[in-house]
Amino acid sequence: MAAREEPVPVASARNMGGSRPQSREIQTSTSSSSFLPPGPNVIIRDPNHDGPAPPLNPPDRTAPSRSRSEPLAPGPPPRRGRGAGPGPEPVILDEEEELDLKYGAHHVIMLFTPVTLCMAVVVATIASVTFYREKDGVYLVYTPFHEKNDDVGSNTWEAFANAGILLGVIAVMTFVLIFAYKYKCYRLIHGWLFLSSLLLLFLFTYIYFGEVFKSYNIPFDYISLAFCLWNFGVVGMICIHWKGPLLLQQAYLVFISALMALIFIKYLPNITTWVVLGAISLWDLFAVLAPFGPLRILVETAQERNEQIFPSLIYSAGVIYTLVGAAERPAGEQDDDATRNAQDTESAPGPPRRPPRGQRTGSTPSPHDEADGFDRQWVRQNQNQSEASSQQRVIPPPRPLEMEEEEDRGIKLGLGDFIFYSILVGKASSYGDWNTTLACFVAILIGLCLTLMFLAIFRRALPALPFSIAFGLVFYFATREIIAPFADTLSSQQVFF
Amino acid sequence: MDLSSAKVSGADKLDLCRKYFLGGFALLPFLWAVNAVWFASLAFRAPPFAEQKAIRQYVLASAVGAGLSLLVLIVWIVIFNQYRADWGAVADAMSFNIPTGQP
Repeated sequence: MAAREEPVPVASARNMGGSRPQSREIQTSTSSSSFLPPGPNVIIRDPNHDGPAPPLNPPDRTAPSRSRSEPLAPGPPPRRGRGAGPGPEPVILDEEEELDLKYGAHHVIMLFTPVTLCMAVVVATIASVTFYREKDGVYLVYTPFHEKNDDVGSNTWEAFANAGILLGVIAVMTFVLIFAYKYKCYRLIHGWLFLSSLLLLFLFTYIYFGEVFKSYNIPFDYISLAFCLWNFGVVGMICIHWKGPLLLQQAYLVFISALMALIFIKYLPNITTWVVLGAISLWDLFAVLAPFGPLRILVETAQERNEQIFPSLIYSAGVIYTLVGAAERPAGEQDDDATRNAQDTESAPGPPRRPPRGQRTGSTPSPHDEADGFDRQWVRQNQNQSEASSQQRVIPPPRPLEMEEEEDRGIKLGLGDFIFYSILVGKASSYGDWNTTLACFVAILIGLCLTLMFLAIFRRALPALPFSIAFGLVFYFATREIIAPFADTLSSQQVFF
Repeated sequence: MDLSSAKVSGADKLDLCRKYFLGGFALLPFLWAVNAVWFASLAFRAPPFAEQKAIRQYVLASAVGAGLSLLVLIVWIVIFNQYRADWGAVADAMSFNIPTGQP
């Protein structure tokens, strides 16, 4: 639990570093593919991240609700902080918890879009391009058993062996990444990430479009193809590894994840896919939560060093706001902000800069304000409730992990999570039953909601896979084995007609 | 990368815009397109700042370059598909995907 920072300027030593990007609290899960290095598939929320994008932050949209003293004024919102500010007080902490749930809900919606898009790409491809559905006898090196036996028992045994081997590879790769990061072999990591994204953006995109053109019977020549692929790939590399529009970067990351998921769906044997999904969520649980879990080490090291985790491993949702902010921003305010910012970095960079942000967002009410179902009235009601109940709760001491003060740039989700969500939904859709596909889709989104809720409660890095995958598996098998036959029987007996 | 951030100075923006523009000459009109869209509001709608004029020029040039490239690409694709059958084996060798079905 963290203290909330009051709107008064606090020139603490910590705040002096306001201009450098600071680390964040993270929610992680595994990555784990042979191509995307076993990095963190991370949901990070970085509250108060003084990173490159100050103008608009999710909390500010509903900024007025943050402060009980001025509930509806569009004025300076008190920012939430971590282990900072003029001392943690029970009431404030508890109120913050409520607000976290609220922003958790907002973040859920921020993540729904990319996750849904990624799944949509995969499902649409599976449905229309037969290449990714059919087994042509080629498998990944990591799955030496091909489930060609006649009896289910041997196939299951082979599936478990495959999953074990794959998991071992993932674990080894993750530890390699962690050691490289721990000992600051940044070149190795960057080279690795660079190569994997190069492979995905060129080779796999080439294969993908080849199959898409084939199934849609589109004539295409090599000259145009080379031209388009060159443009697509190079711009993708620039956006992911260097500087680029954030929306474009997000789009590329979603596309990369979808490609990766398609590869897995095609090349993993049938039962192995399901076993791998289960195993990977358990691994995720271990890697993020165990004291020596590799992803936890990664996250904590990154926080110690005040660094961002590599952008090619993580999808960051917060950036959308900055784009919206750029559009909504009233003219004439930029210079103001710049000067104010300059002053801030000289003196106390933290709190004094916040008011303008609040004003801006407060004065331009956007559809987002109520988009997540929490309007001001709700907030006010809940504030009253929390006032009543907060006195009795126990506040745990702040964790060292969360001591750092950051600006909220929204939540982050690892690409591995995208990949495995999409594998589940894509695999479900590869049997051609839309009921099952939709059930899995809903299940995964429910799991995501639940994860984010726990994120708001525990306020630390959490694995994003276990809930979603567990729900997904249960929904899949329940729908496929029970509900679909039942519905079929009902309709064949014409119960409803 | 957030252009509206106050922490990114005008010089940095200009530098980035310039690099994107120059990069576009490496047969990368998509980079030009991105440049034009990305910097458009900064070049035309943002309150004036020192580097705005230069950025505006780069944005315009990028937009023109991207548009021309798209035109060339479309024209080439149309020509190719128009004469694919006439060119025979050459066109077949150039084809990434040859449509099947009715001619």
